[in-house]
Amino acid sequence: MSNPRPYFSFSLVPLLSVTAAFLAVAYIGLIAVVMGYATMTVEFSQSVKNDEASVATLESQYLGTVARIESLDYRAAGYAAPIAKIFVPSSSMTALR
Amino acid sequence: MRAQFRSRIRFVLAAIVLIALLILTRLYFVQIVHGEDYAQKADRQFASGSSGLFDRGAIYFTNKNGTLISAATLATGFLVAINPQTLADPEAAYAAIATIASTTMSRSDFLAAAAKKNLVYVEVAHHLSDADGQKLSELSIPGVQVLRERWRYYPGGSLAAQSIGIVSYGSGDTLIGQTGLEAVYDGTLTRSGDSLYKNFFAELFSNVGNLLVNAKDAREGDIVTTIEPEVQTRLEYDLAKVNQLYSSRGTGGIIMDPATGAILALASYPTYDENDLQNVDPAVLGNPLVESVHEFGSIMKPLTMASALDAGAVTPQTTYDDTGCITVSGARICNWDHKARGVIPMVEIIKQSLNVGASWVATQLGQEKFRAYFTKLFGQKTGVDLPAESAALLGNLSTTQQVNFDNMSFGQGIAVTPMQMIRALGAIANGGVMVTPHLVSAIRLDSGVTRTLVWNQTARVFSATAARETTTMMDALFDITLMHGAARIPTMSVAAKTGTAQLPTPTGGYYTDRFFHSFTGFFPSYDPRFIILLYTDDPQHVEYASETLDTTFLDLVHFLINYYQVPPDRGFSTTTPV
Repeated sequence: MSNPRPYFSFSLVPLLSVTAAFLAVAYIGLIAVVMGYATMTVEFSQSVKNDEASVATLESQYLGTVARIESLDYRAAGYAAPIAKIFVPSSSMTALR
Repeated sequence: MRAQFRSRIRFVLAAIVLIALLILTRLYFVQIVHGEDYAQKADRQFASGSSGLFDRGAIYFTNKNGTLISAATLATGFLVAINPQTLADPEAAYAAIATIASTTMSRSDFLAAAAKKNLVYVEVAHHLSDADGQKLSELSIPGVQVLRERWRYYPGGSLAAQSIGIVSYGSGDTLIGQTGLEAVYDGTLTRSGDSLYKNFFAELFSNVGNLLVNAKDAREGDIVTTIEPEVQTRLEYDLAKVNQLYSSRGTGGIIMDPATGAILALASYPTYDENDLQNVDPAVLGNPLVESVHEFGSIMKPLTMASALDAGAVTPQTTYDDTGCITVSGARICNWDHKARGVIPMVEIIKQSLNVGASWVATQLGQEKFRAYFTKLFGQKTGVDLPAESAALLGNLSTTQQVNFDNMSFGQGIAVTPMQMIRALGAIANGGVMVTPHLVSAIRLDSGVTRTLVWNQTARVFSATAARETTTMMDALFDITLMHGAARIPTMSVAAKTGTAQLPTPTGGYYTDRFFHSFTGFFPSYDPRFIILLYTDDPQHVEYASETLDTTFLDLVHFLINYYQVPPDRGFSTTTPV
């Protein structure tokens, strides 16, 4: 009768222990990476939104200034209409199409 | 061997017991010692996490240089909420909150909310700045929570309000676009809400397909409009001035590129501030430029003329005998001044805005062809990307009484929206081809791709020759008739037409002393970059559009020439006197 159990020249226990330990560390590492990634995503998104809100405040000031300029009566501010217009060739003409 | 095994078992058991003791000790500290703190934290997380921070795509204006400027975006700040169950001193809490947050509710409402001990979360103030939120948070008032919030913000306030639209709660608890572009492009602007908290690995394992090809990223984005903020500001300012000066019921205007249909500005007065909807009259939330129909009066004459020229019914050289008044089907039709002009050519019909002449042209065209042309011009909606567009009232086109066609030839008895009107008139400016007016030029998807919208649905209504001949007549009106020639710009050709229509009475007739004024024009006449349509409804103590809208039209023309540096198309010299 031969022994059915396989024979290994080394002990399986340390090997499996090391593997289990490695997997545990890898698992914890992955969780840390995921958590870090999620945190950074949220922080960056929030940061972007905050920056966008700051830009919106500046844009609001810009549009307010445009409205003030449009409604400005230049004559009341001491200016007069130009007496002549001079047309000059423009190199970078702004055009709609 | 057995003894060694037993000692191992004992060691493992001891380790388990030790770990269990550690967990029990930790649980004691969590649940007993710091239990109340954690309960409050959980309460806060429940309150803020259940709805999540509001997120929505942006809407942009496009500056003439292509720079994008927010028309609708998000603002961030803080909200203040109370937990009535843990709020110890409501009076002191209210005093502290009211000192910092000016937007909080009244003292009586606050105390009433604090008395509702069955509730754990009541919001008492919104839209606090970062500094105020921080200040209030540092006070650490028991039962008072300071939470981050985000809300819809319109940097322009009332700028293009009726076109941009608003968001509000629909049937559910989600903010959705209710009017304007916010409503039309709601599917693009709405955010699912979970993108911020996406767990990469969870996504990877649970839904690989979605991670690689995300349908949301291909749908959600920001929208870029063709509205130019400075042009829009100028138009709104001018319209408000007209409306206030003549105490009109309403005043509106559109500025469009006639070749592409891109709308640079559209506005109506009265309007509202999109950031302050508390006391807004719901009647002004809609957009009268696409929702209201009007009888526009004589600005319809160029369309009648272009139709007749295109059909070959008349030529620019054709003459007719203008008798000042005619009787058709028992109804009397007269020129605005009831005066006869004698035998005159077609150009005088436009130049002097003669109703008898327009009726004569309509008769020459014939009912069938008139019906065909006007059905093509106004028989369908424009397709503009704004909600609730109305259809034109074209009932008189289906009749056979000549008087109805005569009336329609000069803009009475036919009611269309301002958007339909500028689209139809744009055909004259654009060589006879009608384009699709639109407000959005592109969608910037969250995936990073910019999708340019194609608005290439066009319809030829008139031949290029007929359009050009009509333009020449409108050109003559601007140079010679308008302000007795004082409006003429030596270096720029402008084609224009005024319109004054009698307002209909509820019983079916027309008022003799109440009018609807309109004004249209485009320039440079033979290669137009801008077409303008203006109207003012029921102005007081004034009869003709040439009195109410001519200075506004001229102001806009000069503004656009300067702002866009439109080069002169005639009379060019190095120095030209103004």
